[in-house]
Amino acid sequence: MPPETNSAALPSPTFNIVKRRLSFFGLTLDECIQVFFGGNAFVAVVILGLITYFLFREGAEFFGQNRQNLTVYRQAGLEYVDFMRRQEQAHTALTRDLFELRMRAVSDMTTRQGLTLAEANQRLASFDDYAGRFDDAIGPLRGMVADLTEVATAIKTKFNINQDKLEEREQLQSAGRTVEANAVKVEPVDFASEIAPILATRDAYLENNRVLAAEFAKLVEQVPAAPTPKLQGAVERFKVKVKAYVATFPSIEAEMAAWDFRKSVPLWKAFSAFIFGRQWLTASFWQDWYGVVPLFVGSLMVSMVALFLAIPLGVGAAVYVNQIASLREQRFIKPCIEFISAFPSVVLGFFGIAVLGEALRALSQVTWLQWLPGFPIAERLNALTAGCLLGLIAIPTIFTLAEDALQNVPRAFKEASYALGATRLQTITKIVVPAGLSGIISAILLGLGRVIGETMVVLLCAGNRIAIPDFTEGLSAFVQPVHTMTGIVAQEMGEVVRGGIHYRALFVVGIFLFFLSLGINFLAQKIVRRYRISIG
Amino acid sequence: MSAPATHLFQAKPSFARTAEKGVFWLFRSAAYLVLLCGALVFADIVIKGAPAVFTTTFPFVNTVFLTEAPESLYVFEHEGAKREMGDREFRAFREQEAAKAAAQGRKAPEIKATSFVYSAGGIFPCIVGTVLLVVGSMTIALTLGVASAIYLSEYARQSPLVSFIRLAILNLAGVPSIVFGLFGMGMFVIFLEWNVSLLAGWFTLAFMVLPVVITASEESLKSVPKGFREGSLALGATKWQTIRKAVLPYALPGILTSSILGIARVAGETAPIMFTAAYVVRDKLPWEGLQHAGDFFFQGVMALPYHIYVVSSKIPQNEYTERVQYGTAFVFLFIVALIAATSIALRNKLRGRYKW
Repeated sequence: MPPETNSAALPSPTFNIVKRRLSFFGLTLDECIQVFFGGNAFVAVVILGLITYFLFREGAEFFGQNRQNLTVYRQAGLEYVDFMRRQEQAHTALTRDLFELRMRAVSDMTTRQGLTLAEANQRLASFDDYAGRFDDAIGPLRGMVADLTEVATAIKTKFNINQDKLEEREQLQSAGRTVEANAVKVEPVDFASEIAPILATRDAYLENNRVLAAEFAKLVEQVPAAPTPKLQGAVERFKVKVKAYVATFPSIEAEMAAWDFRKSVPLWKAFSAFIFGRQWLTASFWQDWYGVVPLFVGSLMVSMVALFLAIPLGVGAAVYVNQIASLREQRFIKPCIEFISAFPSVVLGFFGIAVLGEALRALSQVTWLQWLPGFPIAERLNALTAGCLLGLIAIPTIFTLAEDALQNVPRAFKEASYALGATRLQTITKIVVPAGLSGIISAILLGLGRVIGETMVVLLCAGNRIAIPDFTEGLSAFVQPVHTMTGIVAQEMGEVVRGGIHYRALFVVGIFLFFLSLGINFLAQKIVRRYRISIG
Repeated sequence: MSAPATHLFQAKPSFARTAEKGVFWLFRSAAYLVLLCGALVFADIVIKGAPAVFTTTFPFVNTVFLTEAPESLYVFEHEGAKREMGDREFRAFREQEAAKAAAQGRKAPEIKATSFVYSAGGIFPCIVGTVLLVVGSMTIALTLGVASAIYLSEYARQSPLVSFIRLAILNLAGVPSIVFGLFGMGMFVIFLEWNVSLLAGWFTLAFMVLPVVITASEESLKSVPKGFREGSLALGATKWQTIRKAVLPYALPGILTSSILGIARVAGETAPIMFTAAYVVRDKLPWEGLQHAGDFFFQGVMALPYHIYVVSSKIPQNEYTERVQYGTAFVFLFIVALIAATSIALRNKLRGRYKW
C-alpha cells in the first residue's frame, strides 16, 4: 500500500521543531541558486545568438541596397557603356603589350648589341610609328565612351538627387511637417527617355566596329618584323592576341543587342556580386562595387604565409618539447612560448612597420638571394611582412594545442614501440605523431582561425591595396601589398555613413568572417572527435 | 685527455643514430628559433622604447611621459639652435619672443616650425583608459564566467543541453575580435544608444574574454577533489553551502591566476574597442567635467593599444616621432608582459602548493 493513503488516514504528528523552508515561486533557496547559475551558463549561447542577430540586423539590408545599386547601374545605362569600355580597355592592354615589347627590344639592343640609346631609338622608329597607329585606331571608340560616360553619369546623378529628395520628404513627413514635405518636389526619372541618347549611338557604334575590325585586320598584316630575333615569339603572340581581340567584337555586339535597361536585377545577383565580385571599389564617381574576392584572397594569402611558417615551427617545437627535451628545457621553453602569445597584436604590427618591413626589403636586395621569387621586394609592407608576423601569432596557439595532443597519446603506445626495438626517432615519427595527428590538425585549424581573424597586424603591415594580386608570375604575388577582410572593416568603418550601403557591406564582411571562423572551429572539433584514439 | 672507454656493449656509430641526432637538432632549432623571434621583437621594443621612459638622472623615470597628455611637437630653429617644444611650451615661447621684440621696438620674429601631432607630452590618458577598460570588463567577465563555470562543473549533468553550451563556449572562443567590435557597435553603440562609451567597451571586451574565463574557472573548480564536496555534504551542508565553503575557496586562486591571462588579452586587443570605446584624442581625463556621476560610464576614453595604432599608422616615422611610438609600445608591452608573467609565475607556484 502506498504510504500517502496511510498517512492521510492517521492524524498528522506534531513536532517540537517546525522547519520552514525559504521558498520563492515554489523553489527552495538552493534551487533558486541553481537556476541562477544555470541562467549564467547560457550566457555563451545568448552571446552567440546576439552576435548573429545584430550582425544581420545591421548587415542584411545590404543585399537589398546592392540590388538597388545594380538596378541603377543598369537603368542609367552605365552597364551599357561598360560593354564598350571593356572593349576599349582590352585594346589598351594590347597597347601595353606593344610598349613592353619595345622596352625589351631597347634593353636587348643596348645591353647585348652594344648600341647607344639614340641608335636604338632610331632603329625602332618604324616600330614606334606602328605603335602610334595602333593606338590611334581606337580613337573614335574612346571618344564615344567618354561622351556616353558623361551622359550616363548625369542620369545617375539625377536619380541620386531624387532619392535624396524622397528621403528628405519622408523625414519631414515623419516629423509631422506635411506642408514642407509637400513642397519638396520630386520629378521621377524617366529612364526610357533619358537613356535614348545612349541607345541612339548604337548604329554609329556598329558602323565604327566594322571600321575597327577592318582596320585591325589591316594592322595585323602590317606588324613590323621583330626588332631583334629574340622577340620574334613575342611578336607572333601579339598577332594572335590582336586576332582574338577582333574576334570578340561580334559577341560584344550581341551582348549589347540583348541588353535591356528594363530587365530587373534578380536578388541572387546582389548575393553573387558580393561573393564572387572581383572588385571592392567605393566612393567612385562611376559605379561602386562590393566584391569580397580581393579581400578574401588577401586574407587567404596572408594566412598561407603565416601557416607556412607556423606549422613547421609550431609543430616542430611541440614535438621537441614533448618528446625530446629534458625536463629543464621544457620548464624554460613552455612559459616562454606562452609569453609570446601574450604579445599584443598591435605591438607586433608596429614592429612590422618600424623594423620588419624594412629588414625584409634589405634582405631581398642581397644578390645571392635573387633566385627567390619576387625578390627584390618593391613594397615595404606586403603580404609577406604581415604573414611573418601572423606566423609569430599563430605559433603559440599551434604549439600549445599540438603539445596537448601529443601529451594525450597513451604512454603504452610509446613503450610498446620501444619494446619492439624501435629507435626514438622511429617511435616519434611512426607512433607518437600519427597517434596525435588529429589533435595536431585541429591545432593547425585553430591557428588558421586565429590568423584569419587577426586585425591589427594586417591593417598595419599588409600594405592595404585592394586588388587581386597578379598571379601570372607565380609566387612573387606574395610580396605584393594586399588588403584583408578584417583590415577593411577596421579601416573603413570609422569613415562610412551609418546606414549606407558601404556601412552595411562592411557588416556583411563581418558576417562572412563570423561564419568562416565558426566553420573552421567546427571542423577542428569534428576532426578531434572523429579521429581521437580512445585510451583503454 | 684519455680516450673514451671502450667496452663490449658500447653503441656502435650507425647511420640511424646520426640521422636521429640530425633530426633532433632540427626540432630543437625549430623550438629555439621561435624563442629567438619572440626575443628579437621584445628586445627591439625594449631597447628603443626604454630611452623614452627612463632617464639617467633622478628619478630615473620620465615622469612627463607617464603623467601628461599627448601634445603636438614643434621643431624649429631659433638663433642658430635646433629646438623641440611641446604645444603649450611653444606658445608660451612665441609670446615671450613677441614681448621681447615689442620691448625692443622690433617686429615680432616669425618662427617657422614643423609640427608632429601626438609626439610631445605623454600618454597618461591612454594608461588611465586602458586600466579602466580592463578593470570594468574583467569584473563583468569574472562575474558571468565564474557563475557559468560553477553551473557547468557543480550542477550540470551530462545532457545534450550541456554539451550544446560547451559547444557554444568553444565556438565563441574562435570568433575574431573584429567581429566582436562590429557586434558591440551594432548592439551597444547603436541599438542601445550608449554611443562610444566605456560601458559599451566593457561589455564588448567582457564577452570576448568570457570563454577564456569560463574554461579556466571550470578547470580549477574541477581540480578540487571530490572528497571535499562529499565530506561537506555528509556533514549536512546544502549544495550551496558546500560550494561556498568547501569548493570556491580552494578554486579561487586558480581561477584568478588563469583569468590574469584573460586580462592580458583584454588589455592587448585593439579591434573590439576601435568602434565601441576608444577615442583618437580626448583632452579631458575620465573624471573631469562630469555633470552627473552616471556620465562617467557613457564617455569614450583613450586607450594604449589604439594610441599605438594611431601613432604608428597616422604619423610619419622619423627621429622626432620615434620617441612616442617606441615609448608607447614599450609601456604597453611592459604592462601586458608584467600581467602575463605574473600569471605564469603564480600558476607554476600554485601547482606545487595544493596537493591532495
